[in-house]
Amino acid sequence: MPFEIMSGSQAAAAAVQRTGVDLVVAYPITPQTAIVETLANYDAKGELGCDFVSVESEYAALACCYGAAAAGARVFTATASHGLAYMHEMIHWCSGARVPIVMANVNRTIGAPWCLDPDQGDSLSQRDTGWMQIYCSGAQEVFDITMQAFLLSEELLLPCMVVFDGFYISHTYEAVDVPEQDAGRNFIGPPSFKAQIRPGSPANMHGLTTGDNQIHLIRNRHDTMLRAPEVFQRINAKFKETFDRSYGIIDSVIPPGVKTVFLAAGATAETVRWSLPKLKEAGLIQLRMFRPFPCADLRSVLEAHDVEKVIVIDRNCSTGMGGIFAQELRSAVYDLKKPPAVQDIILAGGIDLTYEMLESILREAKTEEHVEQKWGVDLK
Amino acid sequence: MEEMFEFRLHGRGGQGIVVAASIFVEAVFHDGYYARAFSLFGAERRGAPVTAFIRVSRDRLMPRSRIYQPDYVVVYDSSLAVETSTAGLKDGGILLINAGESKGGNLFLSTVGDSPYRIYAVDATEIAWKHKLAIGSFPMVNTVMLGAMASLSGFASLESLIKSIKKRVTARIDANISAVSEGYESVKEVEGLVT
Repeated sequence: MPFEIMSGSQAAAAAVQRTGVDLVVAYPITPQTAIVETLANYDAKGELGCDFVSVESEYAALACCYGAAAAGARVFTATASHGLAYMHEMIHWCSGARVPIVMANVNRTIGAPWCLDPDQGDSLSQRDTGWMQIYCSGAQEVFDITMQAFLLSEELLLPCMVVFDGFYISHTYEAVDVPEQDAGRNFIGPPSFKAQIRPGSPANMHGLTTGDNQIHLIRNRHDTMLRAPEVFQRINAKFKETFDRSYGIIDSVIPPGVKTVFLAAGATAETVRWSLPKLKEAGLIQLRMFRPFPCADLRSVLEAHDVEKVIVIDRNCSTGMGGIFAQELRSAVYDLKKPPAVQDIILAGGIDLTYEMLESILREAKTEEHVEQKWGVDLK
Repeated sequence: MEEMFEFRLHGRGGQGIVVAASIFVEAVFHDGYYARAFSLFGAERRGAPVTAFIRVSRDRLMPRSRIYQPDYVVVYDSSLAVETSTAGLKDGGILLINAGESKGGNLFLSTVGDSPYRIYAVDATEIAWKHKLAIGSFPMVNTVMLGAMASLSGFASLESLIKSIKKRVTARIDANISAVSEGYESVKEVEGLVT
């Protein structure tokens, strides 16, 4: 098999190189720098096969992507943390105009003070911007999902963020099954979308409108994004035929009789997955797609297994409320016949999650009254 | 569940421990193991302490956490703090340090004192100088340490290391191959304290 040893960041870049994009726009920021650096190396060796533009800021990077995508080009950029925050206004302009863009975001805490650890608050702070968000748990997933994201984004005319943890994934070297460039390009094919401004199409060029019209555009964007799970599943069925791997919008491992499950997204999901055989009485729901939020799938898996307690690993915190994945889960399941108790483990600042912590969480869950929120640093 | 072996590497920014870790991952993969290596550092800067973690297993699935109870600790620079470097090293675990006859390694070893570990040393700084592997006054010890690590752990053959170096190292390939071979051959157990 064509395995190569690469980091998560290099896997994202390799996926872009094998997809056949028209334009890569680059501005570096730790811990994402290796993505644009790897793409720049491909370009220097004449192996990128598209335009590579270095810009003066993240804001300019996304503006440049927007312009090219509006003209019908397949585009990619990558960022992290403060870079993503700096893009914030353009992030809205891109989804509002309904252009397909794929952007990798490598999770890193947003300051102050400066911090490089992988808090998910950067991407989660863009929750309501009309971008799809998919969280990856390792380099193979980063490679595969980045390729798939182009198809998803182009079919729905909505931009897509491919998200993964800084260092724990971006800087982890591991074996990745990488298809030849031709196989990648054959799978994705040329861009299938057309940038058309015409009556009835939600695509627009940032003109001025009234709320009475805007509500239709917002509704169209919402309804379209709700189709993402179905499109993602179709893409994965095709991906499996070609590459023998596939992903769900959520993936669950719940052994028979197990009533307590962890819900995690990104690198922590893989730590939980590895720990399950040793923990014995626990399951995992890996949350891969965060926007749109997979309410229906979560409800059905929790009901099917009669899950009593969900322990949510949140490497983030919405100040004044708590972990964001836990909030979203609670609102998705509150009206189930027997909604599970939700416990939120907050790993804000991107702190590490270890097997020992998972063991302690489970032990306390058995011996204590239900506690809604716990901080990772307080675990014994 | 397959057995998993954990390494923690302590060095300084610019010594190449990240590159060494990626070469190691590739070499052990070639020899039939999965491995994962990642590093932690602040904003990249030469001379600052850098930590890298490597896991090796026959199973592709491994946790994505830091390593607190390693089977192997590898110290690239003996001026690093002893307590930080050896924290959590398992009883009977292996401590490999870059130390030579006349270098600061003696001080490092005397601080370790009587330990439940097995201690090995390789004079990586001397070997790096010998092969003129340096950036200015900064010796590049990574390939020497890599050879010693592979030799002690047995997860990668010298042939696989050389193959991986040829693929992943872009400069001074011959010198690096000599360095990795010398590290592989010359690492030795420290019998009591070096005085």
